[in-house]
Amino acid sequence: MMDDQTAIQRCRGGDKDAFRHVVERYQAEAMGHAIAILGNREDAMDAVQEAFIDCFQTLDRIDLTRRFYPWFYVMLRNRCYKVAAKLKKHEVSNWDETEILAPSASLQPEDTMLLERAMLKLPAEDRELITLRHLDGLSYDELAKRLEIPQGTVMSRLYYARKNLRERLKHHAVTGFSEGT
Amino acid sequence: MNKVNCEIVCIAAMAVADGYDSVLSPDRIKAHLAGCADCRREVEHLQALSSLLDKQERRPRTEIVWNRIEPRLPNAPPGQRTSAVLFPFILLGLLLLGYRLVEMIPDRHFGLLFKLIPILLVIAAFGYLRENPFKINSQLTLEGSATK
Repeated sequence: MMDDQTAIQRCRGGDKDAFRHVVERYQAEAMGHAIAILGNREDAMDAVQEAFIDCFQTLDRIDLTRRFYPWFYVMLRNRCYKVAAKLKKHEVSNWDETEILAPSASLQPEDTMLLERAMLKLPAEDRELITLRHLDGLSYDELAKRLEIPQGTVMSRLYYARKNLRERLKHHAVTGFSEGT
Repeated sequence: MNKVNCEIVCIAAMAVADGYDSVLSPDRIKAHLAGCADCRREVEHLQALSSLLDKQERRPRTEIVWNRIEPRLPNAPPGQRTSAVLFPFILLGLLLLGYRLVEMIPDRHFGLLFKLIPILLVIAAFGYLRENPFKINSQLTLEGSATK
């Protein structure tokens, strides 16, 4: 499979097929991140498409010595928050199964659902931060770069986001979460 | 201790639990937690939540977006499109410059309509950008204010 640098260089020459490689490599990751921000599959799909189109139009500006995805993520989250701002009321899907969290060995399916529902009630910024930190395992430094905020802000925002989530889980007996048990 | 100090200690304690340095030394955090039951309980709960979240993974995605993207991709290579995108802004700059030069001609009075030209140009620019400069984003909040 073509590596990112080669694919991007070919895209710059107008090779759309090379861009397909880029899209196919990152579409799953991008969808996961967009759903975490928007809480809605259809809106996430729209945001991901728009972000990839933005990306194709600005490929001449990418620094090829840097990793592609963190650069693309800036465009993706801009698109997501634009979509979120247009939604009059924050709408989240009423799923029968989870969309953000994978089934987990550490939680019963109904507890995973409760946890996800609680996450969906958070502001998008909190949900984004929590998923990047805990599901993707990004360090504070990576979070600061990804979200373009100082590390101290990451620290405090992460605290308030977790506190927010805890408030929403307070009255549910989620196994493995000591406050609820 | 007052609420602000408690909050700073909790933020610092969670950062230390994540393996990072904070503005407070671990000894100061420990000392505060030893004497403050509220903070101790808060940090314990947040650490339990944190370790629960650490055990979770993202649901793998299977959506395919290429089919929807491909027909919408422009034909020109990326570099050429940048100049096409910039063209309206360069044009706007030139028009404003031209307006200013005309305005500087001495002993000429062009009337009210002439004075409205820059406003019309700015309105046209926002129209082109499809942005409403007067729109207020009611979802913006100050950092941390959502929890207060």
